[in-house]
Amino acid sequence: MPLNRFSSYETDGFFDEMFGLGDGSEPLDHYHRLVSRIAKLDGERMEAKQRQAASSFLEHGITFTVYGDDKGSERIFPFDLIPRVIPLTEWQLVEQGLSQRIIALNLFLNDVYHGAKIIKDGIIPREVVESSPHFRREMIGFDVPRDIYIHICGSDLIRDENGKYLVLEDNARCPSGVSYLLENRQIMKKAFPLTYRDMSVRPVEAYPELLLKTLEFLSPRQSGKPVCVLLTPGVYNSAYFEHTYLARQMGIEIVEGRDLITTDGFVYMRTTHGLVQVDVIYRRMDDEFLDPTFFNKDSLLGVSGLMDSYLRGNVSLANGIGTGVSDDKVTYAYVPEMIRYYLDQEPILDQVPTYLCWKEEDCKFVLENLPDLVVKPANESGGYGMLVGSASTQKQRMEFAQRIRASPRDYIAQPIVALSRHPTFCEGRIEGRHVDLRPFILYGEDVEIVPGGLTRVALEKGSLVVNSSQGGGSKDTWVLKD
Amino acid sequence: MRLHVLHKTHYTYPSPVRDSFNELRLQPLSNDWQRCESCFVSVLPTTPLGQYLDLNGNLVHHFEIPEDHSKLIIESRSITTTSKRVDFESFPYGVQMKNLREVGGNPECRDYLQKSHFVSIDPETWREAVEIQGHSKDVFQTAYQIMEHVYLNFEYCASTTSVDTDTLEVLKNRRGVCQDFAHVVIALCRCLGIPARYVSGYFYDSTRNRTMRGAEASHAWLEVFIDGYGWIGLDPTNNCVVRENYVIIGAGRDYRDVAPVTGTYFGRLPESMDISVSVKRMDE
Repeated sequence: MPLNRFSSYETDGFFDEMFGLGDGSEPLDHYHRLVSRIAKLDGERMEAKQRQAASSFLEHGITFTVYGDDKGSERIFPFDLIPRVIPLTEWQLVEQGLSQRIIALNLFLNDVYHGAKIIKDGIIPREVVESSPHFRREMIGFDVPRDIYIHICGSDLIRDENGKYLVLEDNARCPSGVSYLLENRQIMKKAFPLTYRDMSVRPVEAYPELLLKTLEFLSPRQSGKPVCVLLTPGVYNSAYFEHTYLARQMGIEIVEGRDLITTDGFVYMRTTHGLVQVDVIYRRMDDEFLDPTFFNKDSLLGVSGLMDSYLRGNVSLANGIGTGVSDDKVTYAYVPEMIRYYLDQEPILDQVPTYLCWKEEDCKFVLENLPDLVVKPANESGGYGMLVGSASTQKQRMEFAQRIRASPRDYIAQPIVALSRHPTFCEGRIEGRHVDLRPFILYGEDVEIVPGGLTRVALEKGSLVVNSSQGGGSKDTWVLKD
Repeated sequence: MRLHVLHKTHYTYPSPVRDSFNELRLQPLSNDWQRCESCFVSVLPTTPLGQYLDLNGNLVHHFEIPEDHSKLIIESRSITTTSKRVDFESFPYGVQMKNLREVGGNPECRDYLQKSHFVSIDPETWREAVEIQGHSKDVFQTAYQIMEHVYLNFEYCASTTSVDTDTLEVLKNRRGVCQDFAHVVIALCRCLGIPARYVSGYFYDSTRNRTMRGAEASHAWLEVFIDGYGWIGLDPTNNCVVRENYVIIGAGRDYRDVAPVTGTYFGRLPESMDISVSVKRMDE
């Protein structure tokens, strides 16, 4: 090889997606072809490809908005050209583990809203469920369409220092990121057409079609073609791009609250041809904002009477109402128990040990070991408001200790996992950066998972936070056919 | 082949029922030819699930729902990898009918030579079996002839028999579904001393025009024991030797040993029972 861009690559003792536990000289088998391609690219061509990719993102308008930033700016989601490669057998295990999990989570939701046997049998403490801010008493006794609560789930997976996959969290409300997954693939196909073809990568393009199938499956009117719409909070939402993208790909209308009205318990969409009855709403806003007469009175985003129609069974919502109790980070700690209880099986995927601050002994341990732990709020998403002990100052830790003492139910802590790293293109060099993986699970007629998911990468050196709102980027994820 | 099976059973009752106890045989087994990679059985209303291995070595899930409920939903999702079972170039010929007596002493076969709940061994059945056997001296040849005989002379039609139909009735009326076809072949084989057992499972219809009978449903066939080769599957509904497109859940003396869903409850008969099965190939 005339030039090897990996010759000075260091794994620094982390598990590396490309080099495994090795020292960075010999890539794993499933990376061979990719490595030999990238190794041959000189800096100029690599940068040209990277520029090309960045400009396509801008042209396609693939952006997101950062909250809590005065500039209120829209950014491109930074993209790294070196794809993550997952061999088939490894993926199959992940796929099965995630299917098992979404089935168990759905059974759990069915249970807590129908008699809560799991609480009566002492598997999960009552206070954990009922103190969750996303537990919706209104849903008790209500049979959701097709008995499915979570139709779209985005679970975050990480790999520890030995390369073992662990579930870090489940996003069972409005997970986003799938549009980046789809766009990343389009760009990679253009950037490395031959390598992509030669490595026989499993396609992901079917996602919008599968999503639409999942939505249509829920329709209360089974005759004729169901009318599905995507309900967005509007242009200021951080994932607005994704909302427009998915609606366009599925060929359904994107609507805001003001585009819908309810009459006699049915939901209608205002169109230029008059009112059209809506069967299924893919809602991309949280429960609280959906219906001002039912939830948050101040919400201008929702539709008055929507909950009434939902509870009468005239319109279906995806995801269902009240799913948040299952992705509460305190509930998370009990998912392995749920799997054992409902399915009589051991969990296929392990998860990160979790200390629950509402338990006295756990809380004491957490407060004593703050520098070695990650503290997370139980019900935030997007990586907001968390503390990485090892990278914190004394002052920050004091502040967190105070918050934990004030409301222990709202915090959990986990040991700091040395996330796996992936070679990433950084300012002309290839360096290791920490990554996670967010696959998207659809649950309609059956459970479907597009191969791979969104690989998020913490672009800042040494950082463990991969969230896009916290300076993360993404990569394409290639699951191989054999 | 890597096959994904989704098997849904939905019962709705006209008025709430209670004290429901059920056993499910819905998880494909793992043996030399097939490996069940994953299987998720879920039940609504939610209830803790338990499992055990029965006397035939089949995995049984069991649960109870003591409180009132007006619907019961049982779903099983599994992924099974199967491999080639029989070499189609060389079928297991060569074992003589006269040597069958030795097999009778094999504890693995003993149960599968007797009469059982749905399988009757009687002079009528024996006479038909001997007629079909004709001059055949080979065990596999004989079993194959019996399968072919049933396939050609029995009418395949749904709704003329029920889950409680035994072989006497099927032999008289000459019609039935896969369960009846399998029972009859088993009875005829056992009459001649060929160990035969009932198998429940699914198959993936790999024919070009989807012409196999009984696809997209729970299927049943049988296996005969050929000394030196083991259990060989025969599907009289489709007149073929079982190959890698079949997924086995379990085997037993007859339907009663391997019924997918069995149980009892207090209450009225179901208003409706919807069963749907889909078998998808995942490695194409």
